[in-house]
Parts: sequence; C-alpha cells; structure tokens
Amino acid sequence: MNITMQTIAIQNGTKLLVAGEVDAHTAPQLSDQLVPLVQRPANQSVVVDLAEVSYLDSTGLGVFVGALKLSQQTGCRLSIQNVTPRIERLFRITGLIDIIPVTPRAESVAGQQDQASLQKRFDVVSADPKEEP
Amino acid sequence: MARQEWEDEYRKILQAFLRGRGEDQLYLGQQLSKWLRAHHVAPEEIVDFHVRALAETVELPELVKDSFQLLTEVMIEYGIAFREYRSLRSRQQQLESEIEVAATMQQTLLPRTSPQFDQVEIGLISVPAKQMSGDYYNFAKHDDQVFSVALADIIGKGIPAALCMSMIKYAMDSFLDQRITPAAMLGRLNGVVERNIEPGMFITMFYGMYDTCLHRFRYAVAGHEPGFWYRASKGRLYDLESRGLVLGVTPDVDYQEYEIDIEPGDLLILMTDGVTERKVGGRFLQRENIADLIQAEIGSPAQQIAENLYRKLLLLSNLELPDDHTMIVIRRVV
Amino acid sequence: MAVVYRIPIHTEQDIVLARQTGRNIAKDLNFGNIVQSRIATAISELARNIFLYAEKGTVTITPIERGKAIGLRIVAEDQGPGIRDIRKAMEDGYSTSGALGAGLPAVKRLMDEFSIQSIPGKGTSVTVIKWSD
Repeated sequence: MNITMQTIAIQNGTKLLVAGEVDAHTAPQLSDQLVPLVQRPANQSVVVDLAEVSYLDSTGLGVFVGALKLSQQTGCRLSIQNVTPRIERLFRITGLIDIIPVTPRAESVAGQQDQASLQKRFDVVSADPKEEP
Repeated sequence: MARQEWEDEYRKILQAFLRGRGEDQLYLGQQLSKWLRAHHVAPEEIVDFHVRALAETVELPELVKDSFQLLTEVMIEYGIAFREYRSLRSRQQQLESEIEVAATMQQTLLPRTSPQFDQVEIGLISVPAKQMSGDYYNFAKHDDQVFSVALADIIGKGIPAALCMSMIKYAMDSFLDQRITPAAMLGRLNGVVERNIEPGMFITMFYGMYDTCLHRFRYAVAGHEPGFWYRASKGRLYDLESRGLVLGVTPDVDYQEYEIDIEPGDLLILMTDGVTERKVGGRFLQRENIADLIQAEIGSPAQQIAENLYRKLLLLSNLELPDDHTMIVIRRVV
Repeated sequence: MAVVYRIPIHTEQDIVLARQTGRNIAKDLNFGNIVQSRIATAISELARNIFLYAEKGTVTITPIERGKAIGLRIVAEDQGPGIRDIRKAMEDGYSTSGALGAGLPAVKRLMDEFSIQSIPGKGTSVTVIKWSD
C-alpha cells in the first residue's frame, strides 16, 4: 500500500520511476504524477519504469488507460518498462499490451523460484492426470 | 439530568473520591462520563466545573486555580472536535442507509436464476466483496434454442463502478431484439462505454451465445480473464481462447469471435478476476491452481461446482474476499 | 447607547487584543466563564483567518439587545482573496485540518447565529452573535 515516485529527464521526454504497489489506495498518486507528464508539450515520450513495482491491479491499469487517452491528445508516446510477469499478463489479457508498449523485466532467477515453490506448496489432488495432446 | 443535576452528581463523586481514592468512584466517574458524552456536555464545561467543585472542598492555590483557565481554553478545541465527530457520525449513518437502498436496487439488475433448457444445466454464484458489486452478469433467452451469457467486470471501485452496471445492462437490452453476433455486440458496447465512462475506468467483458440445438458456443472477449472449458471425452480442462481489448479505451474496436462445439458432458466455466486474483499464504494463485480446484469438482452438478469453488477459495484465502467473485458453469447434459 | 469596539487586525498581536477585548466585554455583560472563553475562541478564529489569508481587516464587537435578551455581535471583515467555495469551507472534517477557511464550522458551532458573505477577489465578512443564557 505504499508508493514512491521519481522523475528523470530523458531525451525528448521524462522517465517516471515507480516503486511499491499500485492499487486502489496508491493509484491516485500515480495518476497525479503521470497525467501532468503526458500533458506537457515538451514530453514527446514518457516512459514509466515499474522495475520496483511488486504489485499492480486493475485500478493501476485504469491510471494508464486514462494517461494513454490524454497522451493521444498531445501526441506524447507513453510506454511502460520492466514489468513483472504477472503485471505483463494483466496488460496482455486486457489487450492493453497492443496499444501501450510494455516490456518485461529481464528474467530473474528469484521469480522462477517463486513460481516453482508455490506449485509445490499448493496441495490439490487432481481427479484425472492431464493427458498430453 | 439538567446541568444542575450532573454538576451535583460530579461534585459528589469528586468529593467521595478525594476522601477515599476508591476504584468505586472512578467507576462511577466512568459511568457519568458516558452519560455526559451522550448528552453532549462539552469537555471545557467539565473542566470548568471541576475546578469550581474542587475549590469548594480544597484550598486551592491561586496559581492552580488560574492554571485551570488555561486548561479550559485548551479543552474548547477538543469540544469542537467532539461536536464535529457527532455531526460526521450522523452523516455517515445517512450515507450508509443510502448505499443500502442503492445496493438493493442494484440487485434487481442481476438475475437470480438462469434460463432453463433441457439440454444444459447452469450453475451460478456471484458474491460482492462490499455492499455494491462491480461484477455484472446476465443471461438472455433469444428464442427457444439460443441463450446468451454475459459476464463483465467494471474496473474502478465502489459506487461509480456499480452505476456503470445499469448502463451496460440497458445498452445490452436495447440490442436484444437484433440478431447480433457476440463480436458485434462487444463492438457496440465498446462504443457506448467509451462515450460514457470516466477516464481511467474500463470494463472487461465476456459475451457468448449458446445454441442448445447445435450445441455450438460462439463468444467474444473484451480483455476479460479467460474462462475454462472441459472436454469430457478427454477428461481435460482447457483455457478458453480469448483476445480482445477492454471496453471503453478506444472508440472503434473489432472483436475476434471464437466458436467451439460442445459435446455431451462438456463444461464451460466463466468467471471474473475476483476468482483468479486470490492470495494463498501470501502468494497469488496461478491459473493452474484454479484449474486443479475445478478438476477436483468436475463430477458434481454445475451449481455445486460453482458453490464449492467459491467455498474452497474462501477457505484458502483465509475467509477474505478481496474482490467480487462471480462464476458461471454451463454443462451440456444431453 | 451602543458602544462599538473596532479592532484592526494586522499582526498576530492584534488577534490577542481582539480576543481580550471580546472576553472583557462578555465579562462585563455577565456572560458565564465558559461562554466568555467560547467567544474569545470564536473571535480568535475569525481574526486569525483575516491575519493568515487577507493580511488585514477588522473585528468589530458590539453589545446588542433583542427584547429582553442581551448578546454580543462580532463582525470580522477583510478585503482579502475571499473564499471560492463557501459550502466546502463550511463542511465538517475541515475544522481541524488547517485547510483554507478552516475554523468556520467551529465558529458556527460556538456561536448562536452565524452568517457569511464572501466574494472571491473582493473580500469576506463574517457576522456572529452570542446571546447570554
């Protein structure tokens, strides 16, 4: 439920570094930072870096949807980088990945281990083994 | 008790307390305090009276007496806050009863029962996380043969999301007479939503039409969590292929339409992301986990599958329901 | 014969003077101890608003009569920026937050009668009356 942000000037635009979680509580703060950036004429490009974001839900997506619409009015190019696999999936399922460029994080060993350990801890007996096609 | 009476009461308790320092008096003081609060006696009045009552019993140095003047002054701000709190409490109660009315009205938008066809059995569960639900679902019987099923998740929380629901329902109702395909329906809805929605809100939706004679299911998806389907002959659960942009982002969107043939014993399982976005032991569930849970229930009647899934997930996530949970299960019986 | 006490508000010390004057007059009119304090508090709040937001203005204190009742009328006026949203300034939840116009709901609660006029860009005038019991 915490979020911190930082802006860095980049060529022809601004990068917004976000850290923490983006949910219903923190999404308004993200919006307050992001919206002025995409509206600023000097920003031809706004890159949102989510390398330090562990969690983002649909209200977070809503912030990007809102910012995207505004960016289309000003001709600013909005993009998002360094998302977790889970967050990337969210952009993919909602189809937003087709209209906002989203790049995943470099594959981290820790992430893969998380997945594997959850599979093991979750004890469910399957009725039928799944057949291979 | 008028002013005089509570002052007398306070004086008595104070004097008794000073004589014996008993817990009894403190307890009486506590009861008196509750009464005083209930009757809106301000803190500054109590402090002011305290020093006067004290001066009757005890020889008070001038400085001590004077110091109470300061204390009284300081208490006035607390008195203001107390009065504000009361006012806010009564406003809150009013709001709560208004929300209750709205929530009741909202219930009328969501069907309680599914359509009856001999060839299919339908299970349904929808549990809002709060008073107002952001999940929308609907069944519509188009003729003797065909029914449609719609499932939507309105992104944006609470009351605005719930208000959106009426918009969806009435927009869909208005298209009901026309024979439009699932893809076309989503395209039309997208236009309606895009024109009428707040920035930052969007809607995910699944819309499908089931032909109970041909046993063909045609569907289209707008950014919605993919459902599952079960091929009984293989005993296997598959993801329902789904690609499409959420409703409300850009004005003109073409949606892809999918079609699958349903064989006897097959199942369709549709849900909102309140089902899949669950934490168990601090970690999020993966789709495979949900699939395993469904697989374990696969032999049960459709309604039982829906209810058991809900109960299992609730137990696993420590009785917490972070988001509205909606699931629809359709089985071809014959 | 109505004696009118007009206190210009320009410095924080003037706030104290206004409070003191109000308290003294209330005492002369035989208002109870608590009521004296409440009047002083209300004057203080109004004068403080002038000091903080308008930089200068006036607090006018007048003993009044209505039939058998005796009261004290206080008028606080300035030619400052005015209050843009009076309804919001009078809403609960702001009296302890220190926001602009804060304290007005409190003043209203402390006094028996309250009225306010404010024109953005022109100024503000608040009139309150406290009657003796």
